[in-house]
Amino acid sequence: MFKRRRSADDFAEEIKSHFELEADELQSEGLSEEEARHRARVEFGNAQAAQERFYLRSRIVWFDNLLHDIKFAIRQLIRNPSFASVAIVTLALGIAANSTVFSWINSTLLDPIPGIAHTSDMITIMRGERSEHPTPPFSYLDFADLRDRTQTLSGLLAYHDDYMAITGSDKPERVYGTLASSNYFEVLGVRPILGQTLQSTAPNERLGTAEAVLSYGLWQKHFGADPSIIGKTVEINLHPYTIVGVAPEGFQGCKSGLQSDLWIPLGMESQVWGSDRIKYRDTLWLNVLGKLQPGVDHHQAEKELNILMQHIAEQFPDAHQGPNMISSDPLWRSPFGVNVYLSGTLPILLALALVLLLLACANVANLLLVHSVARRREFAIRLSMGASRRRLVLQLMVENVLIALAGGGLALLLTMWTAHGLSAFLPATTLPLSLNGSVDRTVLVATIMISLLTAVVSGVVPALRASSLSPVSALKDEALNSSAGIHKSRLAGALVVGQIALSLLLLVCAGLFVRSLQSEQSSDPGFDPNHVFLAYFDLRPVGYSRAQGIQFDRQMLVRLKSLPGVQSVTVGDFAPLSFSIRTDFIQPEGYVPRKNESMEVDRGVAGPEYLRTVRTALLAGRDFTDRDDAGAQPVSIVNKALADRYWQGQDALGKRLQVAGHWTTVVGVAANAKYRRLVYDAAPLVLIPMLQSYRTDQVLYVRVAGDPLSYASSVERTVHGLNSDLPLFNETTLAANMQLGNAFERIEAAFAGSFGLLALILAAIGVYGVVAYATKQRTHEIGIRIALGAGKQDIFRQVLGRGLRLAGFGVVLGLMISFALTRYLRGMLYGVGTADWLTFVIVAILLCVITLIACFVPARRAASVDPMQALRTE
Amino acid sequence: MPSQDNPDDRIALLQGTLDLLILKTLRLGSCHGQGIARSIQRQSEEVFFVDHGSLYLALQRLEDRKWISAKWGVSENNRKARFYSLTGKGRQQLVEKTSEWQRLTRAMGLILDGRPSSEEV
Repeated sequence: MFKRRRSADDFAEEIKSHFELEADELQSEGLSEEEARHRARVEFGNAQAAQERFYLRSRIVWFDNLLHDIKFAIRQLIRNPSFASVAIVTLALGIAANSTVFSWINSTLLDPIPGIAHTSDMITIMRGERSEHPTPPFSYLDFADLRDRTQTLSGLLAYHDDYMAITGSDKPERVYGTLASSNYFEVLGVRPILGQTLQSTAPNERLGTAEAVLSYGLWQKHFGADPSIIGKTVEINLHPYTIVGVAPEGFQGCKSGLQSDLWIPLGMESQVWGSDRIKYRDTLWLNVLGKLQPGVDHHQAEKELNILMQHIAEQFPDAHQGPNMISSDPLWRSPFGVNVYLSGTLPILLALALVLLLLACANVANLLLVHSVARRREFAIRLSMGASRRRLVLQLMVENVLIALAGGGLALLLTMWTAHGLSAFLPATTLPLSLNGSVDRTVLVATIMISLLTAVVSGVVPALRASSLSPVSALKDEALNSSAGIHKSRLAGALVVGQIALSLLLLVCAGLFVRSLQSEQSSDPGFDPNHVFLAYFDLRPVGYSRAQGIQFDRQMLVRLKSLPGVQSVTVGDFAPLSFSIRTDFIQPEGYVPRKNESMEVDRGVAGPEYLRTVRTALLAGRDFTDRDDAGAQPVSIVNKALADRYWQGQDALGKRLQVAGHWTTVVGVAANAKYRRLVYDAAPLVLIPMLQSYRTDQVLYVRVAGDPLSYASSVERTVHGLNSDLPLFNETTLAANMQLGNAFERIEAAFAGSFGLLALILAAIGVYGVVAYATKQRTHEIGIRIALGAGKQDIFRQVLGRGLRLAGFGVVLGLMISFALTRYLRGMLYGVGTADWLTFVIVAILLCVITLIACFVPARRAASVDPMQALRTE
Repeated sequence: MPSQDNPDDRIALLQGTLDLLILKTLRLGSCHGQGIARSIQRQSEEVFFVDHGSLYLALQRLEDRKWISAKWGVSENNRKARFYSLTGKGRQQLVEKTSEWQRLTRAMGLILDGRPSSEEV
């Protein structure tokens, strides 16, 4: 139908032929040629109109109009470059804030485990009490029973991840490896790009088979993307493994934000780490993920698993004395991995970014209002020429959409850069973090949607306003339009009040986050992080046995301590506030646990002089010494929180405490210190001596005088004097290392702070714009008043007063909104209330001052109006 | 002088009637726009005034509906002209519209005069 459409020319041709035929006929009826031709035309009526009507009905009119509107809008924007650029940049900032936060949400919460087949069908399974730092909740035997019995899940996988090393070359390379159940890749739906999965190891799952699947990154980096890698051997912790597969690019394992470098069968744990956890029902070391059967939701699965777990617990009561409740979560809020922290932070940041965008919209709406007044004549002419009001609104909306899309484009460019900003808040760490946003198609689409929404929010009211003027009055002298002007400035005033209110909200949030971070950073962690040098090392991959390792540690500690400037030295299997402390199950002497009470507490393995080195106060008893070794009585140090919880009102010293199945005697009570996050209350902690409970994977602590990093080379020299092949990882300071512990608070404070600052700037621009514009509009009136004897002071004060009145309304409104909304931040603040009056007062005063400054220039200008000139120009 | 001497005597065509008149005119054979206009005016004894612009748009509309078809040709006096002819669908429509119209005029006649009006279109 569209193809066969007649052209307008053809139609015109037909009308022409009509004239000729009619003229012929009239001539034949006796008219002269000229008269006939004239008569034919008159008889026809308005041929032009007919052709136009034909044209209109035969074209996609709206499309023509749209093209025309776009061309016109581009011309308009080019003609007003300052207006266009201010509007575009304002929106770009607002949109970029949103697209940046969204890019992070997109690549973390929305895609918690990249590269797997059915994210929404997968659930993570937790057993016991929920916390932000759960230990792996299942033993192998329990996992295997659940896997074999479940009906609601089509697959259940288990894994355990930790550091390993690729050995065999001169220096071991530290990698983050995963021990995986044989069905791991199948349940996830991850197909290797080369070779196969660990599926074939299923018959030997408990014994293990020395096979490995490499991550794409490791294959690229370490093996030069060798296409014939399958069947070759890689040495892991001194044992050879056959490489059977290479995982696809982007697949990083089962924990959000953490990159695993390789996967080996679960049964290899004894070979890799020298432990034999796979044999025991009460050794909890596995994380478990399930894939739901079609049509089953995670509540049903949870119910079934609870029943199964109940049976297992009844069957083996001794191995299940702790809590056995099973809970399941969709992957985005999995308690394992980094998402557990991000799922609280990022949505709040997005909310703040949206408020900022709203503010930017209000600014642009104000700009558009002012701009449309300048274009009043143009609109009036178009209206009086017969343009419909709808066409005019459409025309203006096209302009707004163009501005918003330009802003969105600019924002995308910014986002490509800021998307990687998330990792800037994380200190160099040994954790294999893979946190970052990127601009993919989802982000692109979201940004465009946000831009279009922005165009509507900022543009509709100004467009309706602009098109509602009566053409007659607009075409008359502009002075007659002061009523419309007043009307507009009232709307502009309302917008400014809204802006001030919103920026107050953002500033209050920023203030609260910053004050929270401050009080967090000035809070006492319970140890002294200054002047401590840290380095990580692992003796297993370089071939040390337990006895050799202990010997190495003893020698190293002695030699390091003799270095000039070194005050004390110790080792540990963790570093405070860097997500590296682990947990164990305890049994305090004389304490009877409630039924299914969790007896899991933080547990650190620490070397001699640990408390002295980190400067945690000793409340009673003694620190570990180098005599607390395998030959001596097993000992432990507990913190005050542990002593208070289990031995309330008793002397903890000398009590017996079972840690992970081994009885120890408490020889020291330490003050509470923070090991996980500064915002948490100190949790019960038990320390056991490194020389009794040896771990090869250690952190070296060296307390020095002066700058810790200046000791790096001498520490390295000393360690390499004992073993030149032992790599020291992540040489850093205790103070820098613990930055990881408040990374999320710093992200919140940094973003809330910069959003608040932007909000302040936008509000100032808004106030300035409106007051300046209103003043300019009233130049005539001001001229008259000055001519009639008003003093410059009065005028100045009046303009300033107007600005302050707006600010006053805005501040009151903003305070009300803030009081109503900040309570949603409660869980994220530390050491500061949500209704922190100091923050509110400072922010309110700040906004009033900024408003005053913004009004100052227009007020000065108004006061210096030359009455004669003002009256003449109007 | 064959054309209208007193324009006030003419009646503007009712909405929708023009389509019917065009179809009726074309029943006798193919014709161009100017011919159709003349024919309608002549047959109505110069009472109907055909707005030519509307006529051509109506022709286009009928063509779009495939009630008539059009072809450029040459007139008797050797002028280039676009000739319209009825299609099968158009014939069917003519029958339907005619009976519809007759029912309408009959009803109007009954109301206005108390008797059916003459059955002629």
